[in-house]
Amino acid sequence: MTSEEQARLTKAAVVVVLQASQEGRLTTREDVLQALVSGGIIRQAEDQGDSDDARRRLAGEEAFAALAGILAEHPSLASFQGLSGQTVYHCPDLLSRTYARILDRKSSPPVLMAEEIRANSRDYPRPVPVELFEASPFELPPEEIEHTLRSMAADPQYQDITFTTTASGAVYLFSALYLERGYAAFLAQRAESLAMNP
Amino acid sequence: MAATPGGFSGKVLRVDLSTGKISTQDTVDRYGDVLGGTGIGYQVLWEEVPAGTGPFDPANKLVFATGVLAGTGVPCNGRTAVTTIFPTCWPQPLVASGHMGGQFAAKLKYAGYDALIIEGRSEKPVWLFIRDKRVELRGAAHLWGAGIRRANLEISQEMGADCVVAAIGQAGEKLAPMAIVANSLSHSAGGVGGVMGSKNLKAIGVQGSGAVRIAGDKDEWEQLIKFHLSILGGNNQHVVPSFPTPQSEYYNPGSRWLGEPGKRWGAAQPPIEITGNIHDLNRIAFRTNSAAFFLGEGAWQHTVRGNGCTACPIRCHTIVKVPSVAAKYGIREIAQNTCVGLLFGRSFFKTLPGGMKGQTALEACMVGMHLADDLGLWCNYGQLQRDLQKLYHDGLLKAKLGSAEYASIPWDKYEAGDPAFLFDILPRIGQRRGELGQVLSQGTAGLFGQWSIPEETWTQDHNTLYWKLGHPKHHANEDDGQCGVIINTQYNRDAQCHSHSNFVRNGLPLEVQKRLAAEIWGSPDCVDGVGDYTPMNLHKARRARWSLVRKELHDSLGLCNWMGPWVASPLKSRGYLGDDSLESKFYSLATGRKLGREELDRMGERIFTLHRALTIRDMGQMNMRARHDQVPGWVFEDPAGAPPFSKGSIRMDRGDMAKAMDLFYKVMGWDKTTGAPTQETYSRLGLREVGQSLRAKKLVPGDAA
Repeated sequence: MTSEEQARLTKAAVVVVLQASQEGRLTTREDVLQALVSGGIIRQAEDQGDSDDARRRLAGEEAFAALAGILAEHPSLASFQGLSGQTVYHCPDLLSRTYARILDRKSSPPVLMAEEIRANSRDYPRPVPVELFEASPFELPPEEIEHTLRSMAADPQYQDITFTTTASGAVYLFSALYLERGYAAFLAQRAESLAMNP
Repeated sequence: MAATPGGFSGKVLRVDLSTGKISTQDTVDRYGDVLGGTGIGYQVLWEEVPAGTGPFDPANKLVFATGVLAGTGVPCNGRTAVTTIFPTCWPQPLVASGHMGGQFAAKLKYAGYDALIIEGRSEKPVWLFIRDKRVELRGAAHLWGAGIRRANLEISQEMGADCVVAAIGQAGEKLAPMAIVANSLSHSAGGVGGVMGSKNLKAIGVQGSGAVRIAGDKDEWEQLIKFHLSILGGNNQHVVPSFPTPQSEYYNPGSRWLGEPGKRWGAAQPPIEITGNIHDLNRIAFRTNSAAFFLGEGAWQHTVRGNGCTACPIRCHTIVKVPSVAAKYGIREIAQNTCVGLLFGRSFFKTLPGGMKGQTALEACMVGMHLADDLGLWCNYGQLQRDLQKLYHDGLLKAKLGSAEYASIPWDKYEAGDPAFLFDILPRIGQRRGELGQVLSQGTAGLFGQWSIPEETWTQDHNTLYWKLGHPKHHANEDDGQCGVIINTQYNRDAQCHSHSNFVRNGLPLEVQKRLAAEIWGSPDCVDGVGDYTPMNLHKARRARWSLVRKELHDSLGLCNWMGPWVASPLKSRGYLGDDSLESKFYSLATGRKLGREELDRMGERIFTLHRALTIRDMGQMNMRARHDQVPGWVFEDPAGAPPFSKGSIRMDRGDMAKAMDLFYKVMGWDKTTGAPTQETYSRLGLREVGQSLRAKKLVPGDAA
C-alpha cells in the first residue's frame, strides 16, 4: 500500500468511526471494512475488474490488515476489547469511554450492572439507586433488573454486589470491594436527602 | 467623575421617606472600593446607621444594591442584595442581607442606578416610582392590605408592562420579621420585608430605558461570555449530568442537571421535547428542572418551562402547571419558584400521602407557593417549617399555646398530610394572627424570646438543623466538613454561601475533585469525600476563606453565588477545570479598570471584613470567637454514637474545630484568641479608618487592656 493509499484509507476509516460515535454506536474493524466496501473505498475479493475505478480501490484483505494499526494509532480514537472479544473503536470526544463501555455491556445485564456499580463505588465513591438502570442508556425493564440481581446473588463472580435500603425504602446498590456497608448506607441516605437539602 | 465608567450605571439613588427628599450620589466616587451589592450595604450601615439601631427604627436603612456585572450579558448576573439591620437575628439584631434574583437588578441599572438607599419612614403608605431620572413617591393606600401579586398587577398597569415591581405582602406590612420582598412574582429576598413595611413602603416599581456600558473590547467581551457559557453546568454548577451521556465521562444521579434528550416539558403548549446535544450552549436552559429535582420524575409532565433571572441560562425557577389544585383549592394552576420557595408548602409536613415526591406533595408545594409568595412570608431557609414540626411533635405547641387557639387549628389536616392545612396556618403567620402567628412570624427568635424556650433545645437537636442567632445551617458539615462549619459561623443569618458546596456537590469523582483542588487551592487535601472527613489542615482554612470572599464578591458584583464560582466545568478538554479568574476578567472588561484575580479577591475580602467590623461594632463585643462564631451542639454528636472522622459520620471533633478556627483566623489575619480582625488587617484591606473607629471603642485586638 502506498503512502497515498494509506492516507486515503486512514481518512475514510476515521470518518466511519466518528460517524458511528456521533450516532451513539461502537464500531468494530469489520464494521469499518464493511462501510468502506459499501462506500467504494475498498474492493472486495471478487471485485477484480479492469476498470480504472476498480484499480483505484484498495484490496480488501490488505486494507483489513492495515486497519488494525490505523484505528489503534489514530489520536482521535480509542479502543477496548468488548464483551464479544472483539476490539471496538470509538471517538472519546463524541462517545465517552464510560458511555462506550455501557453500550458494549448492554448485551449482558449482569456485567452491565455489576461493572457500573463497581465503577461508581470505586471512583466517586457512591452507591447508585436501583432505578438508575431503568433509565437511558441502560434501559432495563424493572423485571429484568430484579431477575438480574437475583441471578447475581447466586453467582460467585458478583458476590461483592450488594445493596442498602434508606429510611424511605429506596434501594441503593454498591460493591463491597470498594465501599464499606456503613459508608454506603450513609451515602445512600445522603443521596436521598439531597432534594430536602437545597 | 467626568464620565460614567463601564459596568457601573453611575449613580446611587437615595430616598428619604421621612422628608420625601430624593437625591443621587456618584457610585464610583462614593462606593467604588466596595463594588456594589453587600459592599455598598455594609458601607452605608457602617457610616450611617448607629450601633443599637433596631430593624424597624426609622434610623435603620434598607439598601437595595446590584453590582458592576448586573444588567450586562454575563451569565447569572441578576442579583440584588438587600442589606439592613436584620429583624430575625436573635438575641440582638445585627447586619445581614437578603438576596433576590429576577429582573429588578437589571431594570434598576437601566434606569441609571447601581443601588437604592431607603431611609426614614413615610407617614403614609407609599410606593416608589422609578422611571429613569423621574423618581416619585406615590400613595399606596389602595395597595395596603393587598398581596404581592395584586401590588404587582396594579403597579404594572400604572407604569406599563416593561416595569419590574418589588413588593411586600401582608407579612411585611404587619412588620413580620419573617417577611420577604419579592420582584418578578417569585424572586424574593428574605427577612427584609418587615423593614420595608416599617417604613410604610409597599413597593418599588422600576422602568429603565438605558443600558450598561462595557468599557472593554467588544469582541473580547463576547468571547469571554461564550467561554463562560461553555463552562456552565446545570443548577448550582453541577457540572455532570444526572445520567450517562455520550459526551461526558462522568455522571451523578444526584446532579441538578436533569434535562436530557427525550424528557418533555409536558405542560407547555404544545409540549416541548428535549432534543439534540444537551451539552450544546443552546441547550443549557433544558438542563435544569427544579421541580423534577425536588419533586421527582412526575414533575416533568407538569413543567411549562424554566424561568429565571436576567441573562441567566440556567432558569432555576421552574414554572409548573397543576390543574388539580384549581379544582381542589380554588387557586391558580400555575406557579413558579425554586429550592425552599418551591418546597414551602411540602416542608411543613413530616409525611404526606404518596410520599414526599407524590401528587399530594406537589399540591402542597402549589398551595405553599400560592400563599407564601402572596403574603410575602419567608421560611428562613426551611427553619419555619422545621420549627413548626418540632413544636407540634414534641408537644411544645400544646404546652405554650392557649387551649382555645390550639383547638382552632386543624391539626387533623396536618396529621393527615392535607395541603388544605396550609390555608389555615400560613395566613395566621403571614398576617400575624393570634399568639401562634405572632411568635412564628418572628422566626425561631420568637420561640426563644417570646416563649422562653431555651436555645439549647434547638442547638442540641440535629433534626432542627438550627445553627445560631435565630437561623439554620446552610451547607455545613453535612456537605463539607470543617469548611462548611467555618462558613456557617461567620454570618448573622444562615450563611447563604455556595462557593464551597457547589464544588463538593459538582458530581465529579473525588479523585478529579482533588486534582482540581490542588490546582485551585494548592493542595488536594483541602477537599474530603463527604462523610469521610480528615482532620483540619491549613489548606481547608484557605478554601473556607476563598469561599467566603467569593460569596461576598458575587453578592457585590451582582452575580449569583447559588451558581458560582465556576472553578469546575463540564469540559473534558479542560480536565473539568473551570476558571478561577472569571470574575476579575469580567470586572476588568466591564469597567476598563484592569484587576487581577488576587486584587479583586482583596476587594471581596474588604467587603467581608467590613461585615465583620459591623458585627463587632453592633455587638459591642470583640470576642467573636466566644460570642459569635458558635457551632451548635448537634454538630459534635452522631445519632449512632460514631466518633469523629468515622467514615459515614458528619460528626465533628471539638478540638479539631478549635484548630479549624485557629487556622481560619490566621489566614484571615484575625486575632486567634478573639477572632477579631487586627488593625494591620484593616489597614491592609483599605479599612484603616474602620479599624481606628473600632480601636477607639476598644474593639480591636491588642487594645482591650
